[in-house]
Amino acid sequence: MIVDTDQITQKAKVLVVKTSLDGHWRGVSLVARALRDNGFEVVLGGMLRPSQIAVVARDEDVELIGLNVGGRIEVVNRILDELEKVGMSKIPVFCGGTVAPKAARELLARGVEVYPPGTMLATIVEAACRLTKSV
Amino acid sequence: MHQSISGIPRKKVYTRADVPDSWWDELDSNPGEPPFIRGAYPDMYRSKLWRIFQLSGYGSPTDMNERLKFLLNAGETGIIIKHDRMTDDHLYDVDHPEVAERREDVGLTGTVTVGLKDYQTIMKDIPIEEVYAKPGGGVPQSAPYTQSCYWSVALSRGIPLSKVSGTGQSDFFLTYLGCPCKEQIPPRAALRFNLDIIEFCNEYMPHWIPVSVAGYNGADSGLNAPQEIASVLATAVEYLDGVSKRGKLQPKDFAHQIGGVNFRVSMDIFEEIAKLRVARKMWHDLLRDRYGITDPKASRMRIHVVTAGSAMTYQEPMNNIVRGTIMALAAVLGGTQSLGVSGYDEALSIPSDHAHLMSIRIQQILQEETGLASVADPLGGSFYIESLCNELESRSWEIFNEIQNQGGFVTTVENGWLRGKASEEQQNLAKRFEQSDMKLVGVNAHQIADPILHVDGFEGSSGDATWSDAMDRLKDLRRTRDTNMALDSLRELESVCKSDKNIVPAVMKAVQADASIGEIGSVFREAFGVWDVSENEFGM
Repeated sequence: MIVDTDQITQKAKVLVVKTSLDGHWRGVSLVARALRDNGFEVVLGGMLRPSQIAVVARDEDVELIGLNVGGRIEVVNRILDELEKVGMSKIPVFCGGTVAPKAARELLARGVEVYPPGTMLATIVEAACRLTKSV
Repeated sequence: MHQSISGIPRKKVYTRADVPDSWWDELDSNPGEPPFIRGAYPDMYRSKLWRIFQLSGYGSPTDMNERLKFLLNAGETGIIIKHDRMTDDHLYDVDHPEVAERREDVGLTGTVTVGLKDYQTIMKDIPIEEVYAKPGGGVPQSAPYTQSCYWSVALSRGIPLSKVSGTGQSDFFLTYLGCPCKEQIPPRAALRFNLDIIEFCNEYMPHWIPVSVAGYNGADSGLNAPQEIASVLATAVEYLDGVSKRGKLQPKDFAHQIGGVNFRVSMDIFEEIAKLRVARKMWHDLLRDRYGITDPKASRMRIHVVTAGSAMTYQEPMNNIVRGTIMALAAVLGGTQSLGVSGYDEALSIPSDHAHLMSIRIQQILQEETGLASVADPLGGSFYIESLCNELESRSWEIFNEIQNQGGFVTTVENGWLRGKASEEQQNLAKRFEQSDMKLVGVNAHQIADPILHVDGFEGSSGDATWSDAMDRLKDLRRTRDTNMALDSLRELESVCKSDKNIVPAVMKAVQADASIGEIGSVFREAFGVWDVSENEFGM
């Protein structure tokens, strides 16, 4: 891993979770491990439902949510709506997975950063650092 | 750079001395002769071209039916019905809370069915007696349902099961290794289902491959080539030993039914060609040495290849047409019997109609325009290929023995060992990619700002409308069926699950009584419980 872990001054807590029941786990497992190896405290959410994701994010007091998207954007939007409902509209959210370009543009417009397949893990870790201001 | 994707070092050049005499001796056989290194059949593609067999499925049963007809019309020579992962793999009805809260995803990853009637729609105007089909059931817990539905459609048309041809799958790699379900029966119960299906097909379905060990899903979850070969063989051993322990059939009676397997072929062309050649030999040797079976009908492994979805890049998707072609070429040079080429939009979505057409066209161009189909095993005797085969064989047996020493394949699924291996390999490949030791054009090499042609993901007809439509069909099924008959069939299924009787006839009866997919799933979950994965890294 390329990121200098010594620079991380405080461990941020990140919820890593899938949006859909598609099950593809390769990307999400690599990302979760990279975040953990770089000092983040990773809460694995598995395949929680949208409403459950919001509740877990609030109860675990996470500072960032990483979504693995294997389904449609409407479900991601529902998760963002649920986060608003539990008073977590300000929490940064970033995502990866099979987010096609059109959906990626829509998500960016809602403030969700998109890191599609082929993104370096180092780039994702850097984004997590920036979004949680860990560095 | 100078090592294969599985980490086998590559020399600058290979000579005769790189291949041991023992391997040259093995090579003294023609295609179609044991140990089948050089091919499963004597004339290979001259006598029969490989089957063009594409994974397909999305949206409603009507969408599925239209896509199948489109593919058949374009020249596909077998059909695959891919089901919606949320409902089918999980055996959930569309009104299940897990599904309802993500309703827009329904139909995105495959077609959504609520019960048998939807299979009538899927197969409308498609002659079952003429097509070779894989009606779904990639996941063990859903295999009895999907196949029972397909077979029931055949029976309703007056076609006896003995005339229905095709293949099941129900491998352990997909949902117990790579793409876990949120809820699924434990691996031992899954094994019981597969053994039941093998026994059922042995009795009634001579033209059906009851279970097809799918190395693809292991490989695309991370397993390297020797691990893929070893775990495919070790899965087959579970079936051979499991069925024979039941006492009705001996391995020689049904080994031919499980010799139709599936491998992934990725971009490392020489290793992939060697993998297919050596897998055939190892299957032959396994049957001979462990079970004393030498009947070529059984010891001739037939291979279906799916090209690696993971090799397809999100960036510059049209480049994937080239990657698909290269992988298809490797599969054919390795002697595959059937082939599915991943869509060029694989990293964005399930295939669009155009991506599907390209996957078929790639294969047709290879069949018609290249001379590739004329000569069997054209690379036989290549110093590099034969040296790789020999190396792969010894590495694969080593892993196979390790699996057997732990208590067999299912044990290595249960104890997380196999998952650990896949995970290690995933990280290893990710590291090689990050360090540019492994290059992907347009991704970490030769990137340009504007790749000119842009492709978006195919969403089919998923979305709220597809879900609402499925909800209507489910309500309709519940309203129009003979409720007592449906409930009786589910009670009977429950008691069969708790006995040692074969579950297939009971599932057939349930689907024919219009039990819904979710009702059947509930019976399974009740009878067998749900696999607890809390102790492994899935973290669910």
